[in-house]
Amino acid sequence: MSVSKKIVLLGHFGVGKSSLLRRFVENTFSENYMVTIGVHIMKKEVAVENDAVTLIIWDVEGTDDFTKYRSSYLMGASSFIYVFDATRAITYSDLKYNLNHINEKFRGIPVHVVGNKVDLVDENDLLKELEAQEIKHSYLSSAKTGKNVELLFQDIAAQLVTHAQ
Amino acid sequence: MHNKDVSKQFLDNRHQLVTVSSELKVVESDNVIFYLDKGSDITEFHPFFYTLTTIFDELETSHRFFCIQIEFLGKRRYIDIQTKKSIENQEVYVFIEDMTEHYKNVHQIKQVRNESIIQFNVVQELNNQLEVQRGFKNKFLANVSHEIRTPLNSIKGFLNVLKVSEVSKEQLDIINIVQDSSDTLVTILDDLLDISKIEAGRLEIKNRRFDFKSFIDVLRKTYALRAQEKRLDFDFEIGENIPNFLVGDRLRINQILINLLENALRYTHQGSIKLNISTSSRNLRRIPITFEIIDTGIGIAPENLERIFESFTQLEKRGLFGGSGLGLSIVKQLTGLMESELEVKSVEGEGSSFNFTLTLGVSHDQKSKIERDSVPLIALPDKEIKGKKKKKKRILYGEDIEVNQLLMTKLMADHGGYSLDIAKNGEWVIEYLERYPYDLLLLDLTMPVMDGFDAATVIRNHSNKQIRKIPIIALTARTTQEEKELAKEAGINAFLIKPLDQKALFETIDRLLNRYKKKKQEED
Repeated sequence: MSVSKKIVLLGHFGVGKSSLLRRFVENTFSENYMVTIGVHIMKKEVAVENDAVTLIIWDVEGTDDFTKYRSSYLMGASSFIYVFDATRAITYSDLKYNLNHINEKFRGIPVHVVGNKVDLVDENDLLKELEAQEIKHSYLSSAKTGKNVELLFQDIAAQLVTHAQ
Repeated sequence: MHNKDVSKQFLDNRHQLVTVSSELKVVESDNVIFYLDKGSDITEFHPFFYTLTTIFDELETSHRFFCIQIEFLGKRRYIDIQTKKSIENQEVYVFIEDMTEHYKNVHQIKQVRNESIIQFNVVQELNNQLEVQRGFKNKFLANVSHEIRTPLNSIKGFLNVLKVSEVSKEQLDIINIVQDSSDTLVTILDDLLDISKIEAGRLEIKNRRFDFKSFIDVLRKTYALRAQEKRLDFDFEIGENIPNFLVGDRLRINQILINLLENALRYTHQGSIKLNISTSSRNLRRIPITFEIIDTGIGIAPENLERIFESFTQLEKRGLFGGSGLGLSIVKQLTGLMESELEVKSVEGEGSSFNFTLTLGVSHDQKSKIERDSVPLIALPDKEIKGKKKKKKRILYGEDIEVNQLLMTKLMADHGGYSLDIAKNGEWVIEYLERYPYDLLLLDLTMPVMDGFDAATVIRNHSNKQIRKIPIIALTARTTQEEKELAKEAGINAFLIKPLDQKALFETIDRLLNRYKKKKQEED
């Protein structure tokens, strides 16, 4: 059985959403920051046990105000990935507020919180900071080193297959 | 409606109309922008079109998608897409508009904007981290200072006591050495605290009228003697047109000059040290005064000239001659706080010259001496002044540390003008005050059970007027401005820092007792 599922990457600009996508789909990484405007869409088929899921991943232009996201970009999503930059507290200081907005607008759609660029910080310090701000994260990743990138999408794919069944 | 008819509505080659079936196959396309085979799966052309599945399921018949990035024939294009569902044919019309030129411009603007915001965020993060580190450092310094000052207080105090007891010449030499070392420790502690205060923006310049000429004269005499001890010449010049009384921060000017003169002494082994003070102005309100300290010492290499102002910097060779490496950093920062700039010129092996210009106020009163200058530095006990025995003033001392209790007992016994009782915490202080009449309270701020701040607050709100009005002097190793202000708020009249300066202690006691006596007489 093969299904296709839409996943949307959300978060402030410059947090590494496009880099995570490129690392996952093309296994490439560039240090140069290239702004995403509008939306860039890529797909990849992921095997989950005997099944295959085609992940249609929407890399949406970053913003700090989630109420400004175009609803056409988010409609039909099976899962959201909320990416923040572990080196810039400002990209997760409003996380709870933005999560509330997404959860209210898209009830029942899972949101996976990912702290990216962990290769640039002391993970223990970051964990303490997140704990202090009561931020629950799903993964700490690095698009640069590839840390947890494959695992993130694999887990989401597995969750979507289970959910579809 | 046929594609041709619809495409007639558009006048250039930036628009394309595609009809897609519910199985996501291309039914028809005018291929103006992209080439799409009839019957091909449109999702194979681009994954965006998977979204059409959702559109078939939606009740709404029309949707707009802006700025979709599509790679086509090796080029990136930005397109807007509008979809319209045909219910009767179970098809979707897809209107594609090529907006590449427009969005490329938007992209450029956003690239610059986002990069600068990210850069700003990064700088902000670094600043925040520095602030946290600085706060930690300042707290650490304040705590360390407190911990060191307490034992240092007893070392310095007992050295004074030992010095006036019967000791041999050899023992006196040793006491003097230990005393010098404790003085150095106190200076280092003060320097460390000053640095942290300046960095935290908590050091204020307090401008007051002072006798500039007398102040400089004391410095001149001190350093002429110090230079002589090192067999160096000490040259001194002061402009005749400099007024006697100026308005400025005497304490900080003194600190700057002492640091620069000590520095010159430390690094000069032959020749001379010179202090020049001059002004080019005869203004009656504010005058610029230039201070210049010139030595014939070891000098500084040009590449090291900037580094000497960093905290804890002692150039390799210079480090051999002692010092904490904080002096010049403090001087640089203090002159900055007084809106001046410290300049240094130096030739390695020949000597250095430091100079700065302070703009100081000129006091309108150039004749009268400050009243307190005429008061002897150490007030003599009443019994010696009057020549007859007087009733001793009764002092209560709130202090939990035994060695400090012992030291104060000894100081009071040697002075002879006061009788002393000791209470080991704030609660005992209150208890004693309620039981016996006291003339003055000496209060340690850090005590168990009830600390000095709380005790002072209780005293100032006491129902008994005698207790409520008692003069209180805080004796403490706590040195921050915040703590001084807290003490003031709690109703404490004076604040003395440990290690205690014996002279200052008795001076303050006398001053407060006199003030209290005068007030009482006025009330009566």
